[in-house]
Amino acid sequence: MTKTNNNSIPDKSNIQGMILRGFTHPYSCHLIFQFNDKPGAKNFIKSIFPYIQSAESWGDAKPDIMLNIGLTYSGIKATSDLSETYLEYFPNSFIEGPTSAGSQGSLNDWGVSDPSGWAFGNDTDEQHVDCIVHTYAMTDETRALIVSIVSDAAKANGLTEFLPIDNGTKRLEEYALMPRNFIHFAYLDGIDQPDLTWNDPADPNDTGDLRNFLIGYPLSDSGPGPTGDNPAGDFAKDGCYNAFRMLYQDVKVFDEFLIANAPKAPKEIQQTPEYAQEWIAAKLNGRWRNGSPLELSPNAPDVATSHATDFGYKGDTTGMKCPFAAHTRVGNPRDEVLNSSEPSPVPRLIRRGMAYGAPPTLKSYDGERGLIGLFLCGSIATQFELLYSWMNTTNFASTFTSQQGQDGLIANRDTPGADRSFNIPTADGSITIDSLPHFVITRGTAYCLLPSISTLKSIAG
Amino acid sequence: MANPLTLYVPIKQDAVSQAAAQLAYQNFVKSVTSGLDESGIVHYARVALIPNASGQGTYAILLITTFDGPMNPYLGFFWKNPGTQQAFAGIAAIALTPPNPPVKDLTGFENFINKNNLSKSASPGKPGDLYEAYTKTVKEITSTAKELVLPKQSV
Ligand code: HEM
Repeated sequence: MTKTNNNSIPDKSNIQGMILRGFTHPYSCHLIFQFNDKPGAKNFIKSIFPYIQSAESWGDAKPDIMLNIGLTYSGIKATSDLSETYLEYFPNSFIEGPTSAGSQGSLNDWGVSDPSGWAFGNDTDEQHVDCIVHTYAMTDETRALIVSIVSDAAKANGLTEFLPIDNGTKRLEEYALMPRNFIHFAYLDGIDQPDLTWNDPADPNDTGDLRNFLIGYPLSDSGPGPTGDNPAGDFAKDGCYNAFRMLYQDVKVFDEFLIANAPKAPKEIQQTPEYAQEWIAAKLNGRWRNGSPLELSPNAPDVATSHATDFGYKGDTTGMKCPFAAHTRVGNPRDEVLNSSEPSPVPRLIRRGMAYGAPPTLKSYDGERGLIGLFLCGSIATQFELLYSWMNTTNFASTFTSQQGQDGLIANRDTPGADRSFNIPTADGSITIDSLPHFVITRGTAYCLLPSISTLKSIAG
Repeated sequence: MANPLTLYVPIKQDAVSQAAAQLAYQNFVKSVTSGLDESGIVHYARVALIPNASGQGTYAILLITTFDGPMNPYLGFFWKNPGTQQAFAGIAAIALTPPNPPVKDLTGFENFINKNNLSKSASPGKPGDLYEAYTKTVKEITSTAKELVLPKQSV
């Protein structure tokens, strides 16, 4: 295998910005498209190319408007000059896409999340996605400006746009009034991200080594792919995959669940019904809603630990502090001993998601809301889908009494054979919740490559 | 949930490839046992040589396994294990249609396995083609088996 340039430092001006840093612009809108023909697709990329933000530092001049672009496999096929032979060099999971039987083995979009009901991204001709444009802005006015620049260019070039909100009438927009980094269900998010580093020499044991995410600098013969000195490797170099998921969050079901199960909490937690509900919410997630990890703050949230990331689970082999199936303990089991089939160290994901839709009002839960999930990785199968499969079936460590259990927050409860029960160990014995409901429903998915700026330039011509 | 893999690979007819197929068949269990044991997710794995219609020589190699959970996230494990890598790379090397991309790294391996897999796993809206008499995982079965065996041994 070719390992050329494994140690040559990537050029930040060639990498799309969101890969290396989370944008803090308060407004973002994610426009989802299908191309009509090759000239239109190329001209579209050309029209919006000037607004692409690279990973270079912008210093004091924070751009008011900017964007990043993702292309699915069909989008690459439609815009690139790669021959069939080299198109096949992309990894199978990316080629086949999220509705393939292979990917569904991990995503498990059964029942309420069935791809036939998605607003975009299933494998029919009408629904397949070619391109997603992630736009960011500092104000509501400039948000409207960048969105119209992109949508006008799309119209002029014959693209079809998916409007996934309110029966095909609205775009997927970040809810800008949400307190910074909070998501629906009222949790603080975006706390623990891989510490992206460029080790010299490369360090195969550092899951934050950028080479795990950026294509073209493989740490081993495990990728990321496409690898090697060939047209596909050149096209993908300095790119990164983005598993894009629109995930509806059922806040009504979640709130009712907390209220119904709070009385099961131990006596000392029952100071107020609200505190008992917070306790259940923390046990489902592994962090209190303010962000404090249960491992460091087992009894109450604490501002001092709300952004803490330096902890492990080795001292909690009974799950007394943090249940084994808590969302963050499944998403990153840290130092826990895993089954021998699992990779070590645990792979990481760069999460760049945000909330869409207004929270419910005191009067009504009506309305569409959830998470715009951007999960960045160098390998869709061995990073994103692996962790997703753990959430749907907790068979990755022998700590789980049920190997068919599920994560507390996001798993698909209709997964065949799934054990929907949730176990909260306490000093007075285990509290068992018999059947977790669907808190999260999939509305659409697309697997994109966030290509390098030079690749996008070559498409733009 | 268990899933099937039915890897069907027509092979070259030259004498060297035919001999390699025989060798792969004879060594299969020996070369994959430690990797499959360690994985703890494979129920059964078997290989068969499909004869040419003439009765002379081998037309294709057929490798059939049933395993717990999804396949693609775990191909990295089987690629890293020398025994299983050797078994699969050996089949790829004598394939009638040379694998594209070549099976030299995990991406090549993932693509080769998926392209030549005749089985369909059940997925939302699409029926699969695997019958299951039980839903227990290999881990669950082997841990129960140990519990059953241990008391007998201590008698
Ligand atoms: C609507 C759906 C989701 C909600 C409400 C949600 C919520 C959360 C929250 C509140 C955190 C803790 C904050 C932090 O550690 O940064 C978190 C962390 C995390 N989530 Fe999610 N999440 C969702 C979907 C997903 C999905 C689909 C995945 C990927 C398979 C995922 C993977 C992770 C990972 C890896 C972490 C970090 C764990 C750690 O490093 O400790 N999440 N999530």
